[in-house]
Amino acid sequence: MIARPPFDKRSLADRRTTSSWELLEQVSATSLDEDYGRVAAGRAAQGQGSRRRPKVLAAVALVALGVLIAVTALQTRSASPVDAQERSSLVRQIHERESDVSRLADRSDRLQTEVGTLQSSAEQLGGKGEELLDTLNQSRLLTGAVAATGPGLRIVADDEAGGDAEAGAGGTILDVDLQVMVNGLWQAGAEAISINGNRLGSLSAIRTAGRAITVNYNSLIPPYVVTAIGDPDTLEAAFAETPGGQAWFDLETNYGIQFDMDTVDELTLPAVPSERLDTQYAEQLGELP
Amino acid sequence: MIAIFGLVIGVAAGLILEPEVPDSMEPYLPIAVVAALDATFGALRAYLDDIFDDKVFVVSFLSNVIIAALIVYLGDKLGVGAQLSTGVVVVLGIRIFSNVAAIRRHIFHA
Repeated sequence: MIARPPFDKRSLADRRTTSSWELLEQVSATSLDEDYGRVAAGRAAQGQGSRRRPKVLAAVALVALGVLIAVTALQTRSASPVDAQERSSLVRQIHERESDVSRLADRSDRLQTEVGTLQSSAEQLGGKGEELLDTLNQSRLLTGAVAATGPGLRIVADDEAGGDAEAGAGGTILDVDLQVMVNGLWQAGAEAISINGNRLGSLSAIRTAGRAITVNYNSLIPPYVVTAIGDPDTLEAAFAETPGGQAWFDLETNYGIQFDMDTVDELTLPAVPSERLDTQYAEQLGELP
Repeated sequence: MIAIFGLVIGVAAGLILEPEVPDSMEPYLPIAVVAALDATFGALRAYLDDIFDDKVFVVSFLSNVIIAALIVYLGDKLGVGAQLSTGVVVVLGIRIFSNVAAIRRHIFHA
């Protein structure tokens, strides 16, 4: 009964192909259990009838096959709702995640807009900060909190040569004289003034303490060198026309006080000492611009 | 006749009784069914060839089912259960096809 297919695959060069073909051939060639043939041959040899009908034993085996098939089918079917459930739950999860994604994308868009807004306002604030810094530097320059440099006028004044400083009158320079001079310089357009290296700030007083004139609590020793930053072309002339300037010309002519003015291209004025920049009672009114 | 009767009874019994299958046995059911089908088609072919024998059929049926299940069980233990199942199904499938082809030749004389 077992008819071997007349294939000769030996001619094929690939031995692997040949052997796998042989395997397949063998499987299909021996698909019928050889025992059937052997038992039938034995029976024929004993002279019994060749044909045997299936009996109870075979029926039992077939019942077992039927049960197996039914149970397996039931099992597969009962497993499939679980699969379907899992799938629908996965689909639901996918939908949820998708909505999450779109929500997050929306949020990202919103945040990006916000970032843009904040960036532009940060740029604006940066501009404003620069403005404030300019204002601050200007204020520091005006109050004498920083050293200043620029062209201006240098005035050297001294008591009457050979005069007796003890006399107290006549050829001695008084604090009032210096006050008048500083006032005149402000009037003539000076922007920063120092006397013997003591910068005049908004709290600086020029006064006599004991026998010396003091500025910022520092005693001054004649000669008094007053430096004022201002327009080099006009400062000297303008000062000469102020009452302060007039008073000093008077002092020069009438009391022999030495008084020299020079326009200088570059003057350097120190800062006011920090203790003369403190306020205790004055408070700022209103906001900064 | 008795064979078809047995098969119908078996399917009916399985569907009605719905026997509980232990979880540990569950993976081997499909392969056992394929092995049993192989034995059954072999028996049908033998019947048509006039060489059918009860005892041979039952023995081949049982040994087919048990060996197929054992091979898959062993494969599971070795971590190649899926591959071995595939191999067993392929071999049994080829056998079933060639047996069915022989049966067809018998019935239609073609």
